[in-house]
Amino acid sequence: MQTKSASEKEKYRNVWVVAETVSGQIQSVTGELLGKARELADKRGCEVWCVVLGAGVSGGLEELFHQQADAVLLVEDQRLESFVEETRARLLVRLIEKHRPEILLCGATVRGRALVPRLAALAWCGLTADCTGLDIDTESGSLLLQTRPAYGGNIIATIKSENHRPQMATVRPRVMQALSPDPKRRGRIIREQMNGGDEPAGKRVLRSVRDTEARVKLVDARYIIAGGRGLKGPEGFKLLEQLAALVGGAVGASRSAVDAGWAAYQRQIGQTGQTVQPKVYIACGISGQIQHLVGMQSSDLIVAINKDPEAPLMKLADIALVGDLFEIVPELIRELQRT
Amino acid sequence: MRIVVCIKQVPASTGVSLDPETKTLRREGAEAIMNPFDTYALEQGVLLKEAHGGEVIALSMGPLRAEAALREALSCGADRAVLLNDRAFAGSDTWATSYVLAAAIRRIGEVELVICGRQAIDGDTAQVGPGLAGHLGWPQLTHVCALEESGGKSLTLRRMQEEGYDLCGLELPAVITVVKDINQPRIPSLKSRLASKKAEIPVWSAADLGVETEKLGLAGSPTRVVKIHPAPCRQKQTLLIEGEAAECAQRLVRELRSRLLL
Amino acid sequence: MQRHIDNRSYQVEILPPKQSSEKLDQDLESFASRYTRVLEAGYCACLTDNAMGHLAFQGLELIEELSLPVEPEQVMIHLNTFHTKEGLDQILAACRARGIKHLLVVSGDGSERLPKLSPADLGAPAVESVTSVELLGYIRRQHPGAFNLGVAFNPYEPEEHEFEKMKRKLAAGACFVITQPIIGNHPLLERLMEEVKLPLIVEAWMSKKLHLLSECVGYEIPEDTAYDPVANLKALHAHYPGCGVYLALLGFKSQFPILKSIWV
Repeated sequence: MQTKSASEKEKYRNVWVVAETVSGQIQSVTGELLGKARELADKRGCEVWCVVLGAGVSGGLEELFHQQADAVLLVEDQRLESFVEETRARLLVRLIEKHRPEILLCGATVRGRALVPRLAALAWCGLTADCTGLDIDTESGSLLLQTRPAYGGNIIATIKSENHRPQMATVRPRVMQALSPDPKRRGRIIREQMNGGDEPAGKRVLRSVRDTEARVKLVDARYIIAGGRGLKGPEGFKLLEQLAALVGGAVGASRSAVDAGWAAYQRQIGQTGQTVQPKVYIACGISGQIQHLVGMQSSDLIVAINKDPEAPLMKLADIALVGDLFEIVPELIRELQRT
Repeated sequence: MRIVVCIKQVPASTGVSLDPETKTLRREGAEAIMNPFDTYALEQGVLLKEAHGGEVIALSMGPLRAEAALREALSCGADRAVLLNDRAFAGSDTWATSYVLAAAIRRIGEVELVICGRQAIDGDTAQVGPGLAGHLGWPQLTHVCALEESGGKSLTLRRMQEEGYDLCGLELPAVITVVKDINQPRIPSLKSRLASKKAEIPVWSAADLGVETEKLGLAGSPTRVVKIHPAPCRQKQTLLIEGEAAECAQRLVRELRSRLLL
Repeated sequence: MQRHIDNRSYQVEILPPKQSSEKLDQDLESFASRYTRVLEAGYCACLTDNAMGHLAFQGLELIEELSLPVEPEQVMIHLNTFHTKEGLDQILAACRARGIKHLLVVSGDGSERLPKLSPADLGAPAVESVTSVELLGYIRRQHPGAFNLGVAFNPYEPEEHEFEKMKRKLAAGACFVITQPIIGNHPLLERLMEEVKLPLIVEAWMSKKLHLLSECVGYEIPEDTAYDPVANLKALHAHYPGCGVYLALLGFKSQFPILKSIWV
């Protein structure tokens, strides 16, 4: 909603976190956002509300109070069992019109990224996706400062939504940290109802398929374990797969390994392959030629395992392990399995 | 079937540096390309047209040089293309962009399906697709990874989820955004490329679309970038770990834990 | 290929215009002109296949659309593993239709936009990923005796690794070998000539910008390194008198006219 004057803006209070629920279970990104919402709300002197839309969700609500929600805005309805963002967007617009939050946060999950831009369009609000930082500008205007990377991570941008409320932002899972739950915290539940106008014609979820075999994709992977010529053959990649499975990561390869036929081209990282930005990149037996570095140098943390301490990737790495990857990787697997 | 595919022209490389004097972005390399995700959107549109008849219209909002991306779309199978260009559109955020695209789609008329790529490699917000659906008031499906059934007034599609996928029925008209798994985009032949050079691409301005001025461009955008700075450089110190394999492994795990990465 | 060496006929690399070209008409004209000049001079035109993973037009479609003449002995087509099966078969069929015999078969560089042949496509289900070896085998089986198949040799890769690959390429049907750019001479070429009794063609880097080879050789060459491509070409002829020469990044204005006085 457009809010040009100060008096219009003042009508909007509180920080909302729209909860992510999958099959009635509230996901951990919600707790992470509640932690950040608390920080923002304290600076604004207002409350944190958690918005929960679903069927059969009233089970885990206590948790939300422990995680800093002052209130839970709850709409429980069988029609909200599956994720139909058209319905949720209309419902949220009504809730926003009625309760007027100043800030609205949501996880930048597949669901969140489908819902919130649609909501922002309907509600005429500014939205910043995939924020890596959120703060209140205490110097002027008390606006939400939304920070996010752009241009493949080469630039950090700070964004504001000055004349529209609520100010909306999405944040990816595991970017913010949840606060430790405080079992003494209590809160109140505000119940709202769906109405006929919320439901659209237009889309139905016919069935949901859980893909337990699903391979983590390189581009989304938090951890990437990559192999190069040092692997000496395709069997080495099976070792990396084991390690990847333990950390929930994906397996990549250098051009040499792909060129030798040890790994599929889909795994190739580098100038003529994929560019990746995981949290942790573990390079095993990769020397680190320029065309490979181009594909992974934006990784948050680079770990290299190589017999040769002078290899370019060993020099670039944040952590360099000198040794035989065929000894170190099995030890890593053992260590991770122990704990 | 009348299908509109939204195209964005983006820089070929996302390498950018900050001009220390003007504090504005300097894009490395002048080459501009059709956003890679949009090639999948376009291919899907062309596949649907080949199966059911109709036409594919490539649509882009951008500076005049974005015409090159639209010609590329024509050489990949689009039947016609439209460029939305007006000084008033400059500086639009995703809200203002999807507002203008929606107006253009209404003006084209009788559109049954809008296909967008998942996100653009420069802004990479993934907001325009669902925002467009919101402005049009049409049902939407994002992260579409497969088309299972088409024909008639609805589509059956797979929507990717973190934990698998949802099989969804979608009534037309609708907006979908697609991910890379959905198809393998065809490579334009020289023949189709030469043919596309001759095509006329109309340019529509704000006046042609009947849009509200206050919702356009920098002034009409609800969000505004107030600051940009280069991403912090890597720390130069390498932590070297040597010794027995078991020790190395344990140390690494400890390091990762201490940085909250495990 | 031995005939080219005996006749002192250069292999001249000509890069097809990129798909992203903003001056396509100009680039097409330039390509056609270079191609024609190479053929008229009695050399062999070598047309690359999406070099470095950059989307470019295909040699065969350029020949078709620009109505370029084909002398069977004077055209070499690069072919890599980044095609659909249909695309690959079309290229091979077009080569046969025009009598083009020389193919340089490489694994190649991919990109987001390029498809990749699968092991099943090439009748090689046992491998993880296809390389030039599987592509060679496929071409020989589909088109027995039709083509003169060349392979690449990279002396900048680890020695044993590269010679092991070469053995497999030979077993798959290689008929000639082209090296990566050589500056002066390279010790591994002696071993190559000893172990591989096939016509050998050494690549000459004809651009003054030697630093562009950094990626190829695997170490950083400073940007301002002094380099005389013509002197290097002469040195290659002196070191490798029994070998052919492949000219990369040839300057058509200043260097092309003097070629005939170099290899005599």
